[in-house]
Amino acid sequence: MICEKCSKNHATVHVTEVVNGVKKEAHLCDECAGKAGVGIKFTLSVSDILGGLLEPKPAGKKTEGVAQLRCPECGMTYTQFKEKARLGCANDYEVFRAGLVPLLEKIHQSTQHCGKTPHNADSQTRKENELVKLKRELDSLVKSENFERAAEVRDRIRTLETDLDKGVE
Amino acid sequence: MKVDDFLGQSGEWLKGSGPESDVVISSRVRLARNLHRFPFLTIAPPSERTQVEQFVRERFDELLAPRKIQYFPLARMSQLDRTLLVERHLISREHAQGEGDRGVAIAQDESTSIMVNEEDHLRLQVLRSGLNLEEAWESLDRLDTLLEQHMNFAFHPRFGYLTCCPTNVGTGLRISVMVHLPAAVFSKQMEKVLQSLQRVNYTVRGLYGEGTSPIGDMYQISNQVTLGKTEKDIIVELRRVIPEVLKFERSWRHKLIDDRPRMLEDKVWRAYAILKHARSISSEETIELLSALRLGVNLNIVHGVPIETVNELFIFTQPSHLQKIEKKMLEPDERDVVRAEFVRKKLPSL
Repeated sequence: MICEKCSKNHATVHVTEVVNGVKKEAHLCDECAGKAGVGIKFTLSVSDILGGLLEPKPAGKKTEGVAQLRCPECGMTYTQFKEKARLGCANDYEVFRAGLVPLLEKIHQSTQHCGKTPHNADSQTRKENELVKLKRELDSLVKSENFERAAEVRDRIRTLETDLDKGVE
Repeated sequence: MKVDDFLGQSGEWLKGSGPESDVVISSRVRLARNLHRFPFLTIAPPSERTQVEQFVRERFDELLAPRKIQYFPLARMSQLDRTLLVERHLISREHAQGEGDRGVAIAQDESTSIMVNEEDHLRLQVLRSGLNLEEAWESLDRLDTLLEQHMNFAFHPRFGYLTCCPTNVGTGLRISVMVHLPAAVFSKQMEKVLQSLQRVNYTVRGLYGEGTSPIGDMYQISNQVTLGKTEKDIIVELRRVIPEVLKFERSWRHKLIDDRPRMLEDKVWRAYAILKHARSISSEETIELLSALRLGVNLNIVHGVPIETVNELFIFTQPSHLQKIEKKMLEPDERDVVRAEFVRKKLPSL
């Protein structure tokens, strides 16, 4: 198949776009596709999606001033993060916390990690993580009416909470 | 090992030997990790990338070499070599086209690879043939734990493993199951599949990942949520979803056999005939015909063509593979001739 645009080269890029239910097809060579920015136009990037999630924000009290935030370590501002949809360093998660928490809630329907913990994480982190896992386990045990096992898990949660309060290693 | 050596073998995951391999091509699990105290790559100047690569390589040499995992510095490799790795699903397109110091460590059997300085400092992946999530995850988890003993990853008690993009934060775990759905596509049922998967938070993409359109009736189904669930939860949930997709595809395959057996046989045999006799064929046409042939092999319409051969042809007929095999750059129309010849040679006469 020959490129529709230059009628010279072999068409190697084939795109289909559906707008309001009308299907449009285009067959272009690499060069013409590149010039037309086709690859970009026909795909939705992560930043488009994240940008969309970030945009319609009510001017709530919590998020006021978030746009002005700047990370002292990497220098990234919240506005830059919104443009790139990528963070600049680990510290950004703390600095932009107020803006990130609602965003994570939208993407993941959760804002609390409960998966693997690095083996070299400090014992406080490991205990906190364990606590989150146990609380989830307790929920599902109660739901499935496994009260005996739920009581055991509840006791472990209490012990862990006491340890964490006292700062026991 | 050199990149050219890959041409003499095919990835373990292409064997077509894993569970449910009539529909599931491969299972891929990947973890996103960043090094503690290094800035993310979004804003990192070139010198930081160099430092990250050096830091990682020193440890890789010691840890991975005995495991037959070898490092390839992409910045010093030709574009053709880099695209070959994309075609083999060992690195992403973005990584091949990226800038600055970056690389990939690849296991000899191609089941494991670690991209260095892609979007995150490290992207660890394990590939398995068929539906094999648990084994793939266990292998990936061991690799992650091994690395973690020699480098600190950025971790936050609330947000988990910290990633450049908030869509990966938490576990950093993305599971992609590559499925072949020719009957669902042919029967115009894909909209249903896509919509129902999206409704339960799964993404569906084409053969080569993000931003690629579906080709050859191949789709990658992956989890969107990485935070707030354990790695096991993510696997268990996908384990519940995938069988529904398999059931759906198989029921449409059987419907085709029952309702339109002649049409189906004709479609399959025509695909074989063109592949076996064409003198010039585009990459796109090859993939579409291979898809029909694969369906024919799985439905016992065609006997004597190993599924492994069909799976391999999907990869080896890609542009970079052909040019590496021919050892020279080829224009698209020259590639079409070489491709046709390659397919003719590989497909057994029946």
